[in-house]
Amino acid sequence: MSMVIAEHLHKAFGRFVAVRDASFSIDKGEIVGFLGPNGAGKTTTMKMITGYLPPTAGTASIAGFDVLKNPLEARRHMGYMPENVPLYDDMRVYEYLEYRARLKGICGSSVRQQIAFVIDRCGLEPKRKNMISTLSKGYRQRVGLADALLGNPDLLILDEPTNGLDPNQIRQIRELVRSLAEEHTVILSTHILSEVEQICNKVIIIDQGDIKAADTPANLTHGLRAAGRVSIEFKGDLDCVVKELEAFAPVKKVMHEGTLPGGWHRLIVRAEPGTDTREKAAAIIASHSFPMRHIYRHIPNLEDVFVEMTRRD
Amino acid sequence: MDDSTDTVKRTRSYFATLRTIYGKELKAFLGTPFGWVVLACTMGLQGFCLQAVLQIMSKATGEGVMYYMLSNVNFWFYFIFIFPLITMRSLAEEERQGTLEGLLTAPVTTAQIVLGKYFAAYTFYLILWLPMLLYPWMSDLGNMYTSIRYGIDPEGSITYRLADWVGPYCILALSGAFFIALGILCSAMTRSQIIAGILSTCLMITYYFMGRVTELWGEFPAAPAFHYLSITEQISAFSRGLIDTRPVVLYLTLTILTLALTKRVVDYRRWRR
Repeated sequence: MSMVIAEHLHKAFGRFVAVRDASFSIDKGEIVGFLGPNGAGKTTTMKMITGYLPPTAGTASIAGFDVLKNPLEARRHMGYMPENVPLYDDMRVYEYLEYRARLKGICGSSVRQQIAFVIDRCGLEPKRKNMISTLSKGYRQRVGLADALLGNPDLLILDEPTNGLDPNQIRQIRELVRSLAEEHTVILSTHILSEVEQICNKVIIIDQGDIKAADTPANLTHGLRAAGRVSIEFKGDLDCVVKELEAFAPVKKVMHEGTLPGGWHRLIVRAEPGTDTREKAAAIIASHSFPMRHIYRHIPNLEDVFVEMTRRD
Repeated sequence: MDDSTDTVKRTRSYFATLRTIYGKELKAFLGTPFGWVVLACTMGLQGFCLQAVLQIMSKATGEGVMYYMLSNVNFWFYFIFIFPLITMRSLAEEERQGTLEGLLTAPVTTAQIVLGKYFAAYTFYLILWLPMLLYPWMSDLGNMYTSIRYGIDPEGSITYRLADWVGPYCILALSGAFFIALGILCSAMTRSQIIAGILSTCLMITYYFMGRVTELWGEFPAAPAFHYLSITEQISAFSRGLIDTRPVVLYLTLTILTLALTKRVVDYRRWRR
């Protein structure tokens, strides 16, 4: 069942195109990471999904409700934490949460119950009576997260939830998001790859307004051309070894990266994804009795996928 | 997580949400030093105006104290600035802080946001005029003191004659409704509170002087239109107890028009991004 459907979303600010023809769908229960460099269009896309920013073209819907034609219904199914978590500095934490709870239509005894629930879930108990202006960044993110959780929405949209936090705080927020992901559909945007690898089961890579990939991390790394790359360091006749390596069938290209002090040549062997050329390469070098000190097969990860898709050369 | 297990009590009432926004905005006025500082300053200036009025009243023709307070030149000095002060931060600050995004992604309509802020600002404005209701009581205290201390009973002074109070308060409430709406409109048009304040002040001053055009230019053919709009004439008439329904209609319709325009402006600024 689809939670979010985006069709041909296009956003242009004058002549600058921020998001170009983005289409994707997110099913219920998925945890999706929007990955992309700064300025890629992640936040713009998220703002269009929430209905805050009207698209130049295209439509988006949440739980079947179009965000522009049926905004109130769509917003009732969504909890949104904007980038930089805007909060009212002149309110206390519990006051702010109460205000947001009532805005979302929660009434009666459920208000207090929901506030207690989100404060507990986000670890805000020690700060519940504090003014928001006195909170550290980590706690502000938690308040934003608590606000998004109010009313138990089906969909959580978190824009860079770990932005600007120190490593301890990042770990805590990630734990929190991971635990939330069990009961909600989550969309989060980030440029930290390890975050996506740890939390998400689907990745959408955006660069310069275009969606470059939308798939599970495993599928994405599988078909990568950087997979199967082997790096070798040896001392000896460079041309001979290169020629023999290139003659070997799965090898697509051999690159001489340079010569290190002591006469060690460093080679990068690019081969078919999924093949292991280490054995053959070692055999070739050993057959000439050349000394070899390093042979390593690169295991592809999301960073390779990301770099591959977003490089500027 | 389907609706059958959803145990959160919710309401879809339009007015519940409106009341939430209204309550929060009013608390921002009265629960922080801002509102009380504005109230204190206004009371101070009203008091200053009062001392000038008492001088006039000792030689005057028997109108109520409010008539002299509102026709005093000092009155306009603080009256015009109340409106930008109260309203300039209402929508401009939300946009600048980024919290407008939080409001527009909650299940709240633009109209609810505008009306909630408007009514909170209007309520606060009405509160600013409440301390003046104490003047007759203070005057009685003063008289009592004088009669005890000096044996003379100074009569007259400030009384609770209904005709003296209903009229002025009506015109203050009506014109205030419009001017607050104007201030909220200016706040909606920009991210900067200062520009909102300047815009609002300029519009207020323009409106005031439109009413006084006939004093400069005499009775030219279009003069009745300016007489109709003249706030000084309306205040003068109402303060004497003459409650004319034409300004009532004028201000109510202007207020509704301005609020509708404000709602459109907020939506427009979101859509044109």
